[in-house]
Amino acid sequence: MSFREKLTSGKFTVTAEISPPKGTDITGMMKEAGMIKDVVDAVCVTDNQRALMRMNPLAACSALSHEGFETIMHMTCRDRNRLALQSDLLGAANLGIKNVLVMSGDYPTKGDHAGAMPVYDLDPVQLLGMISRLNSGFDLSGNSLLGKTDFFAGAVSNTELTEAAFIKLGKKVKAGARFIITQAVFDAGKFSGFMDKFQSAGGKQIRVIAGIIPLRSEKNAQFLNSNIAGVKVPDGVIRRLKSASSPGDAGIEMAADLIKELRGVCDGVHIMPVGTHENTRKLLEMAGI
Amino acid sequence: MIVSKQKEFRDILKTVKEKNIFIIGCGKCAKKQHLGGEPEVLEMKKKLKVSGKKVIGWTVLSSACNIGSWDEVLSQNPAVGKAEALLIMSCGGGVSIISSVAPQSAYPALDTLSLGGVCRDSVVMEQCNMCGECDIQFFAGICPIGQCPKGMRNGPCGGAMEGKCEVDERNCVWEEIHKRLESLGRLQLIEEIREPKDHSKRRRRD
Ligand code: SF4
Ligand code: SF4
Repeated sequence: MSFREKLTSGKFTVTAEISPPKGTDITGMMKEAGMIKDVVDAVCVTDNQRALMRMNPLAACSALSHEGFETIMHMTCRDRNRLALQSDLLGAANLGIKNVLVMSGDYPTKGDHAGAMPVYDLDPVQLLGMISRLNSGFDLSGNSLLGKTDFFAGAVSNTELTEAAFIKLGKKVKAGARFIITQAVFDAGKFSGFMDKFQSAGGKQIRVIAGIIPLRSEKNAQFLNSNIAGVKVPDGVIRRLKSASSPGDAGIEMAADLIKELRGVCDGVHIMPVGTHENTRKLLEMAGI
Repeated sequence: MIVSKQKEFRDILKTVKEKNIFIIGCGKCAKKQHLGGEPEVLEMKKKLKVSGKKVIGWTVLSSACNIGSWDEVLSQNPAVGKAEALLIMSCGGGVSIISSVAPQSAYPALDTLSLGGVCRDSVVMEQCNMCGECDIQFFAGICPIGQCPKGMRNGPCGGAMEGKCEVDERNCVWEEIHKRLESLGRLQLIEEIREPKDHSKRRRRD
C-alpha cells in the first residue's frame, strides 16, 4: 500500500528522515535507509537542510526508489525560483516521485554557504498552490502541460503556533497541503491541544504526522531547546534524561511511550533521529508498531 | 531614504590605488546618517592623509544622486579636475550618477544596504525592496518583501523563536503585521492568499 493510500485510509503511518550525502557517494545513505527498510512507510528526503549543501533530494529519492523505498521529497523555497521548482517537479514526477513536502527552508546564513542568494521566489503557500496547478495539468503561468503531475503534497508546521502562524497553516491547507508533518513533539497533552485547534479550524480532512526525536542526552535536549525553532523539550523529560543511567535508552523509551500516546491523537509519526537510524527499528517495536 | 554603512577604511585603501583624491560627500541620506556630511568627509580626509594619500579637495554635494552637469561641479570645485580618483561618500546611486559624468574613476566609501527611512530621529532599515508593484496596504503598511528576510507573503516561516526572526535580531515581521492588522480591525487581510509577486514589474524601463 502506498504512503498516500495508507495515510488517507486512516491507518497509522510511519515516515523517517534521511539526508542525502555531501558528495556523490550514496553508500552511507543507502545503509541508513537499509536500517529502516520495511518498518517505515516512506522515507522523507531532506533538501539542503539547515542550508548545508548536499546532494539534490530529487536524485537521492530516485536512488532510494530503485531500492524499493517510497519517498517523500522535501522541497524548500530557498534555492530555486518558480522555473526551477516547476521543472524539478516535472522531473520528479517522471522519476516516479509521488510525495512532496514543502517548506520555506532555513536561511542561507545558517548554513555552509552563507553568501548564497536567498531565492524565496515563492513562499510555501504559493509553492503548494503551484503544485496543485501542476496536478491539474497547468503550469504557474497557466500553460497546459503535456502530461500532468499527481503529487501528494504536504507541508510542515510547528505545534505551538502564534495566531499569525496558525492562519498561515490554514492557508497551506487551502493551497493544497493534504498532510502535515510537525516539528518534534515531546508533550502529548500540548500536542492534543494543537490537534483540537487544527481540526476545529477545518483541518479534519488533513492528515497529521507528528515529528519524533528520540533524545540522546540532556545536552541534546538543551541544544534543541535553544537552537531549533518550534522545539520545546519539557523540564520533566530533561530531568529524566539527567537522572537516567543510560540517557540514550531513556530517550528511546520516552519516544516509544509518546508514540503509543499519539496513536489515538494523530495519523502517524515521523522519526528524525539525531545522527543515525540505528535505533529506529527498536523504537518502533517498543512503540508496538 | 537610502540606508548605507561606512566601508572598512582598510577596504577602501585596498581598492583606491590612486594618490590624488577628491572626496565627495552627499548632503541628503548619507549626511542624515552621519556617513557623508562635512564631519565625516573631514574625518575621511584625515585618515587618507595619514595613510599617505593626497586629498586635493573635498565637497559635500547637496545630493550626490542629483547632478546637473559635471561642469557645474567643476566650476564650484576646480580642484576636482586635478584629481586622479574620486571617493564618494554616498549610496551606490550617487556613485553611479557621478561615474556617469566624471572623467575619473569614482570609488564608493559606503556600502548601500536598503531603502529605509528616519523616524523619531532613528534610522529604520529595509522598509521597501522596490519591487515595482506596491501592495503594502495588504500588510498594514509593513512590507514583508522589504522587511522579512525570506520575503514571505502569506505569513511567518517556522523559524521564529519567541517572536524573534530566524535570521537576525529583528522581531518576526509577520508578528508585527498581525498585530497591526488586528489593531486596524483588518485581520481578514492576512487570511487571503497572496499570489507570487510579478518580478517582471521590477527594474523595467518603459
Ligand atoms: S510592496 Fe514593493 S514597493 Fe511596496 S513597500 Fe514592499 S517592496 Fe516596496
Ligand atoms: S522569522 Fe519572520 S521575519 Fe524572519 S524570515 Fe521568518 S517570517 Fe520572515
